[in-house]
Amino acid sequence: MKIDLDDVANAVLFFAVFIGIWQLVFVLGIWPKVSLPSPYAVAESFAEVILNYTLFTGIGITLGRLVIGFLISIALGTVIGLAMIKFKGFGKTMSSISAGLLSFPSIAWVPFSILLIGFNDAGILFVVIMSSIFSITISTYSSVRNIPPIYIDAARNMGAKGLSLFLHLTIPAATPSLIIGIRQGWSFAWHAIIGAEILMSIVGLGHILSVGREFQDMGLVIASMITIFTIGLLVDRLLLFKLEEKIRSRWGLSSDR
Amino acid sequence: MLYAGDFQLTKLEAKNITKYFQHETHRIKALDGINLKVEDGEFVCIVGPSGCGKSTFLRIVSGLDTTEEGEVIFDGKPVNTTSPERILVFQEGALFPWLTVSDNVEFGLKIAGVPKDERREISSRYLDMMQLTKFANSYTYQLSTGMKQRVAIARALAMDPDVLLMDEPFAALDAQTRDLLLVEMQLIWERTKKTIIFVTHNVAEAVVLGTKVVVFSNRPSVVKKEIVIDYRRPRLVEDQNLAKFQQDVMKELRPEVKAGSKNQS
Repeated sequence: MKIDLDDVANAVLFFAVFIGIWQLVFVLGIWPKVSLPSPYAVAESFAEVILNYTLFTGIGITLGRLVIGFLISIALGTVIGLAMIKFKGFGKTMSSISAGLLSFPSIAWVPFSILLIGFNDAGILFVVIMSSIFSITISTYSSVRNIPPIYIDAARNMGAKGLSLFLHLTIPAATPSLIIGIRQGWSFAWHAIIGAEILMSIVGLGHILSVGREFQDMGLVIASMITIFTIGLLVDRLLLFKLEEKIRSRWGLSSDR
Repeated sequence: MLYAGDFQLTKLEAKNITKYFQHETHRIKALDGINLKVEDGEFVCIVGPSGCGKSTFLRIVSGLDTTEEGEVIFDGKPVNTTSPERILVFQEGALFPWLTVSDNVEFGLKIAGVPKDERREISSRYLDMMQLTKFANSYTYQLSTGMKQRVAIARALAMDPDVLLMDEPFAALDAQTRDLLLVEMQLIWERTKKTIIFVTHNVAEAVVLGTKVVVFSNRPSVVKKEIVIDYRRPRLVEDQNLAKFQQDVMKELRPEVKAGSKNQS
């Protein structure tokens, strides 16, 4: 991977200024120390949760739940999306419903999930799945429908039908736009899991955040927020964005060629 | 040397093909009973004014489109679906961008379950014929339009179809590339003995390639005239002796184009 020195310099400068302003506001004493700790105090909280393994356990549990929930989302979402194509009436209705549910706030699933399933992992998974599955159904539905008819004609003409048409044409032809839906779904799932964990969990990153609030430990709250931000950024930039770029260039869609 | 008169067996026959287009609220009759016999090994070029339904006719022959009346008889049996026996080469090539050039050529063979080694052998033979060996592992977006079209032809030939259906395959090419391909196409036809139906709007192209040129009338289309091109091969576009055939075709085509443009305005 090529690292642009300019980019690094810009990022370093940005964070230096950001921490500088933070320190300045802290020194001015506009807020009491409990409400706004110094950058140093936050670093201390960070060190503490790292040293007593709370943070890594939390990250592990949260990501574990997220991956399981998201994989279920992808599997179910794809099946529903394909059913929407197969059954046109269902597809029309379901695409409106999906559009509505796509903008439905993930946190609003929490009470429903608690009453239906309970304060447990399954309940959290339910929130994650409901928050991300509609990105997947909509993107499956539209990616497959937007495959240029001429590709389908050419493949059919060469003898592809049924399963072979699906495997050798539909899936690869839809992949570049499917990955966009997956990326979006992942970000919804990420929103959902933190929200659900704050309200429903006794472990995980979201839980650490809510512990910080209960004990009025702003250092812990900010440290968790930084962790959440960093993981979100890393997964998107290093994994999903890279994957999307790779697919796009392999499909001849990238702009910089 | 092959001449139109040498062909005896009817490979394909279109009987009274009728087709409507749906245009917003009303139906437009595009094909008004096309009758056409194509003998085995013949190279038939179809010309006609734009919008006359010649591409649609080709799709019907391929089985990708259906007809409202009439039928296409292929090897004695009516066509009701697509078949690798009749491969359509699209104007846009319709190559798959996620596959390499050789995987594109092997697509139909893979679907048919041909083993990998055999597929490679077939694709390299046709890529060699199309002078694309160097590009076997390239992706299609890395190729020029002319190269893409040669890949599309290689892909069609790799299926070893009885009939090759070509829908303005050279329309998007520059003049030099087209001239080259016009010669190559004649060599391929002589070498493979395929029956070819070739739709074009370019009269010179039709006369160079065809054993006969079929002129479609303006919409609703019928076959207005079949003109046999009895002339030695390989033919070159600039050959002055072809001018007479071109004039024969133009004489039939011009009034149809005029009528067509009047309809559209």
